[in-house]
Amino acid sequence: MAALRKTFRINKKDFIHAGEASISVKNLLKSLHVDTKLIRCVSVCGYEGEMNVVMHGGEGILSVEIDREKVILEISDDGPGIENIDLAMQEGFSTATEEQREMGFGAGMGLPNMKRNSDHMTVESEKEKGTQIRMSFSMADEKGE
Amino acid sequence: MDDAKKAFCYVHVDEELCGGCLHDVKACPTRAIRMKEGRPVIWEGRCIGCGECIRLCPAGAVKAATSELESVNEDQISVALVSPVLYSQFPGTMPKEVLTGLRQVGFRHTVDMSYFLEMFQCAAEEFIVRNRKTGEFPFPLISPVCPVVVRLIAVLFPSLLPHILPIMRPVALMVREVKRQISLKYKGKEDSVTLYYINPCPTKMDSDRMTFHHERPYIDRALGINDVYAELTRQLEKPGKPDHPDIFDYKPTENSLIWGISGGEIIDMHIRRTLAVSGLEETIAYLEKIELGLFRDVEYIEFRTCPEGCVGGTLTAVDKYLAKNIIRKTFRKGDIGRRVSRDNIHQLYEEGRFSAKSSLAKLAVTFGVRNTPLSIEDLMKIDELLEQIHGMDCAVCGAPDCRTFAEDVIRGKASLGDCLVLQARGMKRDA
Ligand SMILES: Nc1ncnc2c1ncn2[C@@H]1O[C@H](COP(=O)(O)OP(=O)(O)O)[C@@H](O)[C@H]1O
Ligand SMILES: [Mg+2]
Repeated sequence: MAALRKTFRINKKDFIHAGEASISVKNLLKSLHVDTKLIRCVSVCGYEGEMNVVMHGGEGILSVEIDREKVILEISDDGPGIENIDLAMQEGFSTATEEQREMGFGAGMGLPNMKRNSDHMTVESEKEKGTQIRMSFSMADEKGE
Repeated sequence: MDDAKKAFCYVHVDEELCGGCLHDVKACPTRAIRMKEGRPVIWEGRCIGCGECIRLCPAGAVKAATSELESVNEDQISVALVSPVLYSQFPGTMPKEVLTGLRQVGFRHTVDMSYFLEMFQCAAEEFIVRNRKTGEFPFPLISPVCPVVVRLIAVLFPSLLPHILPIMRPVALMVREVKRQISLKYKGKEDSVTLYYINPCPTKMDSDRMTFHHERPYIDRALGINDVYAELTRQLEKPGKPDHPDIFDYKPTENSLIWGISGGEIIDMHIRRTLAVSGLEETIAYLEKIELGLFRDVEYIEFRTCPEGCVGGTLTAVDKYLAKNIIRKTFRKGDIGRRVSRDNIHQLYEEGRFSAKSSLAKLAVTFGVRNTPLSIEDLMKIDELLEQIHGMDCAVCGAPDCRTFAEDVIRGKASLGDCLVLQARGMKRDA
């Protein structure tokens, strides 16, 4: 089956451009006239993922694969990694710094939101080696946010 | 272009003035313009009437499609519906004086919008407060007041359509009421009544105009503020003008003036978490962010695609900063608070008299069908083409950028031969 693959760089600590990769993905899905709810889910997950790389991670990459049945988003970085994944997945858990909180980040809802807005999500992380998140979205069924 | 054709698009190009530059092609937010044989061609189905091309054309060749002022006197009963932005064009002149001036220009009746702005505000607050409890519509809700924003969302951000506050726009409320009053007063003579809307943005006058007013098409003609400015100035300069109010005045207030400035819609709203954003670029950037899930803690966002708000409209006559100054000065003189009765508004609200839900749905369909989807294979071909071109968005082909050009080729609307870069490299082999 034909699949479109694209990768985008996410630069370390680059708050200004964070989100641009997700906007590109969003535009691809729009030109395919994919269901608007699915576009919202993929966009929200992409953005949360990008923000996490910029806030907590290192140099990162967002890659997307689109075919007729599904969208797969992969966001990886070479940062410090997540010590306790189960804890990080809990709503409200955040290691954001005081400064980041002042900027309005650090609600601890990123990972839970990604989980909720995707059909399937895996998080792999190793201390000092980085983090890799993979989310899939089915084109067929409807999801709520 | 003949007048009949003109009426069906927001803008048209004066071929004699056009120098064939690419400013408009590059500026168009919906990529609706292509240069073909040195002349811009506008894909009307995709034009949202933002007026950015009018603003940027160095030759003044791009013009808004509006009616002519000369036709006013021919009409037997002409009624001017006035956007409050008009008042901001005349320093030291109060709204009611501007309306008197318009009647001297030749309008039989003049209608001020402030009362309907208050009605809208009340209904909007009611909707937002109720939505806090029901959560039926997603926050942030987006103001429906700027028609370009509504169309921009329909074309580029369809997933945000549910965010548009489904309340009838002030102009729609105004027109509905005036139409009712007029048919009472001129029973049997309705056919000789012409409703003009004097406003600062390009207005399309075809059956689609619900996409502008998103309600029934009651307005007969639209005039730009710049269409009436010279004549109105002449009348206002005349000494000793009579000053009796018109039956359809609805008592103009200075409060409506503030709506011309970005933030004017929300400043007096009894809603705390609001934002005001103006300018096309900023508006698009914020809509992108909302689509990424940001600003969920904001309840209402006022967008205006013109810089600084409606005073920056493409069809104004006075510089926007000057107009802002005039508004600030006039505004300070009067402060009369609201006149609409909350109980009354609530009653009407319960009856569904403000609801714009069905027209918003129609709008989504109108713009949705105009744009055929691409397939995954198409997107892959576009990527291949882009790699082959390896250009730098020179736009000589007539498309705003290489990606759009590649898309046009795939859609069969352009040919590879139009690309200078490919030509220069002698790349005939894949063409
Ligand atoms: N890419 C990453 N690299 C390192 N740590 C991460 C990464 N993504 C998430 N985390 C950790 O998981 C926690 C929870 O993430 P999230 O739910 O997005 O909340 P927030 O970003 O608001 O802190 C973060 O505070 C951080 O400690
Ligand atoms: Mg996060």
